[in-house]
Parts: sequence; structure tokens; C-alpha cells
Amino acid sequence: MMLRAAGKRLIGAPGIRPAAAGDSSGAAMAVAARRGYHERVVDHYSNPRNVGAFDKDDADVGTGLVGAPACGDVMKMQIRVDQASGKIVDACFKTFGCGSAIASSSVATEWVKGKQMEEVIAIKNTEIAKHLSLPPVKLHCSMLAEDAIKAAVKDYEAKKTKAAKAEE
Amino acid sequence: PLPFIAASPKTDSQGLIMPEDKFHKLADDTIHDLLEKLEEYGDSQQMDGFDIDYGNQVLTLRLGDLGTYVVNKQTPNRQIWLSSPVSGPARFDWDAATDSWVYRRTGVNLMRLLEKEIGELCGTPVDLS
Repeated sequence: MMLRAAGKRLIGAPGIRPAAAGDSSGAAMAVAARRGYHERVVDHYSNPRNVGAFDKDDADVGTGLVGAPACGDVMKMQIRVDQASGKIVDACFKTFGCGSAIASSSVATEWVKGKQMEEVIAIKNTEIAKHLSLPPVKLHCSMLAEDAIKAAVKDYEAKKTKAAKAEE
Repeated sequence: PLPFIAASPKTDSQGLIMPEDKFHKLADDTIHDLLEKLEEYGDSQQMDGFDIDYGNQVLTLRLGDLGTYVVNKQTPNRQIWLSSPVSGPARFDWDAATDSWVYRRTGVNLMRLLEKEIGELCGTPVDLS
């Protein structure tokens, strides 16, 4: 209920919308340019990578959900892990929030692909912020993306442990 | 249920979150106090590019090329949010036991953090207590 209400509020607000399919409309770009977003943020906002969802019940999927609608930012990040090698073979996200939040989570899904879990939990919000040239007020968005990665990994590991215990 | 991280406001021993008016009083007092002390510090330092701005309840401290600090309230979470050019983003909850704002993740105190960082960046100690 809250998310739907947030969606309605967000859709009406310029420059803020849930990450849906890529939309390089002139209006969105004009707003972004006016607000001085870095071109990488505009790129991720207009052409977000890896938007979507995996089945959270799949054994090889880890799901992280961070943030709160009341704060204006919610990120769901999912990873698909190759169980034998521990490598992340696919990742996707859905984010409600500002352009910087969408871009941060989009970047995060790109960066985790092909990496081991121990590697991705070392990804720092400062690296994401630097890559997107996020202004000071938006550093919190990159922190949320870092948290989302960690939450997804944590969820996968918890699932794996539970499955291992069930087999004992 | 999915592991929902981070964004729940701190609750007291009875599981209640701080009433909103109390939060605004505490947070506003803290930020106004910070504003005053930083303005004094700025005046005494005569630093190039030192600029303090408080508008729409957001405190912005520019230290020339050294970076910009932003301090603002996050009311739904009952937190004060900080963006630091040194340590990045941090979120502080009110800790009644110590009468201060504390970042739960690291245990650091908001004022002590700012004193340390700003003092080091500007080369002169600043007292924010």
C-alpha cells in the first residue's frame, strides 16, 4: 500500500520516478540537465541497466531490500549465484527514488556481475559516488546501494546455510 | 520475509519511536548550535572559501577545495544525516544515555566526528561541545 502511494507521489514529481523501462524522453533529460546531474547519472536514469526481478524463492538467488518509502528511497537488489563457483552470474534491481538512487543501484548491479561474493561486499559507497560524481547531498544514495549489495549477499548465504542444514 | 535493512527508526525500551515534535526540538537545537559555533569558527579562521549556509533546514558548510559538509534532518527515521567529504555519508540517532547523536554502525558521536575532521582539514581545532 505504502509503495503504491509512494509511486503515485513519485510519478507526479519531476525528476523522480520508479525505475521502469528505459525512457530517454526529452522532458526527463531536460529536468536532469537543469538540476546539474552528472552525465553518468543521466545515462543510468534514462537507460537503467538490469531493471527487473528474479524469483526470490530460487535457491541461487539472493535478495536485498533496503531503505524506506517514508524516506523516499527503496532499493531491491537481487543476485543470481553460480553455486559451484560462488560467482555472481546475474543481477537485477528495482528502485523507488531519485535519479541518484536509481543510478547508484544500476551501477551496483553492473559491478557485481562476474564477481565473487567476497569481492562485492568490499564495494564501497565512495566508489559508486565517485563513479557518478554524486554531490554531497546524494552520498546517502550510494550508501544505500552498498547496503543493498550486502543485503543480497547476506540473504543468499542465509539461504545456502538453511539448505545445507536441511540436508543434514 | 525479506531481510529489511537499516531504515527503521530507533525505538526506546518500550518499543516506541521518538515523538516527532521532540525530535524536531532536539535536532533543530543541535543543528542551530552547530551553525552558530561553525560561524564563529569561520569568522576566527578567515579561511578562503569558508562558507556556511542554512536554508530549508539544511546546513551546508563549504570549505573551499577541501569539500562540502551537509547536515540535515531525516524526520521519518528520527535521524540527523551527515554527508562528509572525508568520511562520506552517516546517519545519527539520538542516544538518550549520552545526550548526543550517535552513528549506530560505528558508535561515533556527531560532534566529535565533526570536530576531528574539520579541525584536521582546517588545521585549527574547533570546539563543538
